[in-house]
Amino acid sequence: MNISLSEAAPVVSPTSGDGVLSLLWLIPALPALGALVILVLGNRRTSPWAHWLGTATVALSFLIGLVAFFQLLGRDESDRSVGQHLWTWFEAGSFTVDLGILYDPLSSLFVLLITGVGSLIHLYSVGYMAHDAARARFFGYLNLFVAAMLVLVLSDGYLGVFLGWEGVGLASYLLIGFWHHKPTAATAAKKAFVVNRVGDMGMVLATTLMFATFGTVSFEGVSELASGASQTTLNILALLLLLAACGKSAQVPLQSWLLDAMEGPTPVSALIHAATMVTAGVYLVVRSNFIYELTEVGRTAVVIVGAVTLLAGAIIGCAKDDIKKALAGSTMSQIGYMMLAAGLGVAGYAFAIFHLLTHGFFKANMFLGAGSVMHAMDDDVNMRHYGALQKAVPVTFLTFAMGYLAIIGFPGFSGFWSKDKIIETAFGESLWIGLAALAGAGITAFYMTRLMIMTFLGRKRWEPGVHPHESPKVMTIPLIVLAALSVLGGVLLLGDWIVDWLTPVVGHAEHHELPLPVIAYTLIVVAVVAVGVAVAWLLVAKRDIPREAPQKVSFVTRAARADLYGDAANEALLMRPGNNLVEGLVTFDDDYVDGVVDGTGSAAIGMSGTFRRIQTGYVRSYALSVFAGALLVVLALLAVNLG
Amino acid sequence: MSFEAPHIEYATLSPLLIVFGVALVGVLVEAFVPRRLRYLVQSVLALVGLVAALAATIWVATDLTVRGDGAARGSIVAEGAIAVDGPSVFVWGTLLLLSLISVLLFAERHLDGGLSAFAGQAAALPGTEAERQASTRGLEHTEVYPLMMFAVAGMMLFPASNDLLTMFVALEILSLPLYLLCGLARRRRLLSQEAALKYFMLGAFSSGFFLYGVALVYGFSGSTHLAAIAEAVNGRIGGQGLLLGGIALIAVGMLFKVGAAPFHSWTPDVYQGAPTAVTAFMAACTKIAAFGALLRLFYVAFGSAERDWTPMIWIVAILTMAVGSVFALSQTDIKRMLAYSSVAHAGFLLVGFVGLHEGGEGISSLQSVLFYLVTYGFMTVGAFAVVTLVRDAGGEANHLARWAGLGKESPLVAGIFAFFLLAMAGIPLTSGFTGKWAVFSSAAQGGAWPLVVIAVLLSVVAAFFYLRVIVLMYFSDPVGDAPAVAVPSILTTVTIAIGLAATVVLGILPGPVLDLAADAGAFIR
Amino acid sequence: MEAEPFIVLSAILFTIGGVGVLTRRNAIVVFMCVELMLNACNLALVTFARVHGNLDGQVAAFFVMVVAAAEVVVGLAIIMTIFRTRRSASVDDASLLKY
Repeated sequence: MNISLSEAAPVVSPTSGDGVLSLLWLIPALPALGALVILVLGNRRTSPWAHWLGTATVALSFLIGLVAFFQLLGRDESDRSVGQHLWTWFEAGSFTVDLGILYDPLSSLFVLLITGVGSLIHLYSVGYMAHDAARARFFGYLNLFVAAMLVLVLSDGYLGVFLGWEGVGLASYLLIGFWHHKPTAATAAKKAFVVNRVGDMGMVLATTLMFATFGTVSFEGVSELASGASQTTLNILALLLLLAACGKSAQVPLQSWLLDAMEGPTPVSALIHAATMVTAGVYLVVRSNFIYELTEVGRTAVVIVGAVTLLAGAIIGCAKDDIKKALAGSTMSQIGYMMLAAGLGVAGYAFAIFHLLTHGFFKANMFLGAGSVMHAMDDDVNMRHYGALQKAVPVTFLTFAMGYLAIIGFPGFSGFWSKDKIIETAFGESLWIGLAALAGAGITAFYMTRLMIMTFLGRKRWEPGVHPHESPKVMTIPLIVLAALSVLGGVLLLGDWIVDWLTPVVGHAEHHELPLPVIAYTLIVVAVVAVGVAVAWLLVAKRDIPREAPQKVSFVTRAARADLYGDAANEALLMRPGNNLVEGLVTFDDDYVDGVVDGTGSAAIGMSGTFRRIQTGYVRSYALSVFAGALLVVLALLAVNLG
Repeated sequence: MSFEAPHIEYATLSPLLIVFGVALVGVLVEAFVPRRLRYLVQSVLALVGLVAALAATIWVATDLTVRGDGAARGSIVAEGAIAVDGPSVFVWGTLLLLSLISVLLFAERHLDGGLSAFAGQAAALPGTEAERQASTRGLEHTEVYPLMMFAVAGMMLFPASNDLLTMFVALEILSLPLYLLCGLARRRRLLSQEAALKYFMLGAFSSGFFLYGVALVYGFSGSTHLAAIAEAVNGRIGGQGLLLGGIALIAVGMLFKVGAAPFHSWTPDVYQGAPTAVTAFMAACTKIAAFGALLRLFYVAFGSAERDWTPMIWIVAILTMAVGSVFALSQTDIKRMLAYSSVAHAGFLLVGFVGLHEGGEGISSLQSVLFYLVTYGFMTVGAFAVVTLVRDAGGEANHLARWAGLGKESPLVAGIFAFFLLAMAGIPLTSGFTGKWAVFSSAAQGGAWPLVVIAVLLSVVAAFFYLRVIVLMYFSDPVGDAPAVAVPSILTTVTIAIGLAATVVLGILPGPVLDLAADAGAFIR
Repeated sequence: MEAEPFIVLSAILFTIGGVGVLTRRNAIVVFMCVELMLNACNLALVTFARVHGNLDGQVAAFFVMVVAAAEVVVGLAIIMTIFRTRRSASVDDASLLKY
């Protein structure tokens, strides 16, 4: 592929900012301050006011972000990238790493999404967590998350991104395990942390490789020098960044943690595991467009990962009875769409971000709606115990319905515009990718309709003693705002605004020649969606829903219920051999060690438990290992000389 | 017959001489000062001596002369036996600072009912009347202070020696007092004595290897001076077999001291058995001194034979990181876990060491290793200091099960310990991250790519066992009686505070220390 | 005369010492084996001093003797305390610390 670089991947070259733009550092600093105050003073001392402090700091950040956004809007198109040097992290001779802010059209949208949706979710949490003894701590963690996420999107270099990256990982870990009295929550938290570390490894290696190749890790430097690097280096860089993105965005093969992460409180699922953190991978790929533009291998890998995940997530979503897990499968699938779009290169970056924004609105809306339903149903998450809730929780039902229409892509709603564009671009690239994206849209329509019917329509299947009631205002107001955004999010596409807005960052695409007129694709998508809805209606609404999940089901359903055997694969590949090693070693202190650590780490622990027998406690065997080591050292030296 | 006195640069050597002097005065104090005053006199003497030595080190550091092309600064003193150059002075400063905060741990008497962590009377049999009496009379071994001072002096001499013989003597000066210190625990004396025996036996065994290596290198080059050896290695005069055998055997002795696999087997046992204050001191300072010496020896003397020994160090580094990270996973004793963690850190340090990046662009290998050693030293002393606080009726509660639910019991102590663990795992904004970043990027620039990839992979595994302890402290409920967190006196508090502050500051503003490490420049030859 | 026989002898002594450390149980004997290793080093040092015709090696040998003496003091002290506690000087008995 021969793209001339200056057109395809613009070099990042920020100018200095003034006015509000010089206050940009306040955007992440405010929530960080909130987190610091709450966490240092402790839960007990801050509990009367911590939730308001937490909400206020994020809301204030949102206001600054909004003003800054309009300032940026008022600037010249060529001048819309503002840099601000904050602090020299490393400085030793010629070796410097600066941390600074890069505020450009891409980060401005993220700032608005994070602080906007973040404020609403903070507000909602005031009601949702009202009865939790550790509510102040919850808000401390939530603020910490927002601060880290803002650092991630505002940094002007990969090291800064990594800082935020680890920060959101830590906050997500703390929040998933927030109800750690539930063993499932503690395990899920650990799993999320470990899987994310695998992704982080990609990030560390990519950063190190960049540093070794370019001598810098700032976007400015890397984007300038990227074209000078060898093709192999670029390929490896792109794949490492993709690995990082897969970990954070729950893409295949690092998807397994997201479904378990639903053990966290629902606002956490809405903010972190739907609207913001999990989209960090997409941000990373789009931000690194100057690398991906130079490597076809990298982009193809991104497209494949996206396509596989969007189908896998959708299939998993079809079989889950847990309302939050069904939504989590859907999140995976939607992020798959974004990845797919990002992998399509210049043509797709803007649509990936567009879908990311609309998804942030409607998915946060639906998660909060699910939380409201759970609130009404005494924290029951099994949809088989719901039914006929539209009368009991009318506001939740209506707002949820808006989100539902948006995600399936009902014409006019925000999801319709964003998904339609991605599918269209995918067809422009290749028929097969387009078909995968199209199939995903159909399956999405199916499982979301199933979810809708099982929750709100049909007959009551409630547990005895449950009396559903609508949530308080503090929870319904965010729902209403998000529902409005879900409906109206499509305005961003008016006159191709978002595409033009992002052009300085990701470059401008020449128009694709599509084999069919655009309107034809739209009609096909709408038809497929209609089929999905109809099938769901026939299969779910027309039949009686049993309160227990039926066991005689097809292979596909069984596979999907088991998360497409993601955990089973992990287990077969990693845990079983480790466990087998451990079995038979009676003295292994399993009642404790295993009680504390199970799951993903078992393999390594099993190995460790076996190998540590080497440490016999006999000083003579230690001497033997020193002796053997001496032989090893001598042999290694001789081998070099003979070889 | 005329006599020419050897020329000794007393001023340049003053830091070393002060510490040796304080150690000797400490021995005299044992002999002549009444028993009840000794604790006070000895601890104050040690502190004052270390502060004075630190001041002298700073003075020496400002006064280093530039040599040759300007890359290296310093001078070779004491008739060629000692090289006082940038890296030496940097290591001295680090060692003295860490020794200072370790002395505070030695002097702590609040945790165990007014008694120090050291045996009342080492000669009394465990569990006998004599031991009980020693305890009730409040006896304690104040000899630990002069012993420690001797060890510090040896540690300072080790990386500064410019001569293999001096290096061997320094190795023994630093080791012998440590063997004794390991066996002086007040509680769990059987374990403590066993640790001393194992450390001694294996230490003596490995120094035998070191010495034979010295003999072979001497046979190869005809001199024990590092500069002369470097010249011989460069010219490849003498038998190749002698040189390779010599390098290998010297490496065994060195790698034993740094705790690299497969020479690490003493580490967990000794770290677990020794009194925790001693463990903190030797975990941090021995590793720093030994790495200093390793760098000097291999960069200066064997520098031009690097193609011969780098593959060997690669193997050892990989093995060390793997053993440290994997074995730590299944440990049930907090001190053993930290011991394996220190083995893993030795592996990361070896990665930096073998990167062989000269500097110029970016960060040189020497600079990155020196920086990592500082970060490692402070977090290690801090973490072990926290270990001394968690206690039950039988002394320190070291079994991990006793740490369950500590987050509820004492949020502050658990929080600080969690922070140290996160630092060791290399989470950003802690010194552990900046250190790892420096080491990995210098190794990557030196072209040791595969090693860096493996190191990153294994640091992920390592993160898992640190996380395990955090999960245990915060997400588990206490088993049986909750562990009690003893309230320390100002001494341990200061140690922990300094360790914590260094870990935070080096994570956020590593610049000044990295600059210092860069200013240290290269070794003089 | 060739220097080789002396070096070979020192290597043999060193190996005997090393193997002794690995095989003997009595701490005193193990310790004597370590001393044997050090003496093998001394022999090598002295031989090389003759080969090169300078005194460095011989001086080194004296230093090694002094160090070995110091090591004896420390070593015997440690072995004595262990023996008094356990009534046994076997290094295999001291194996509480493991895994």
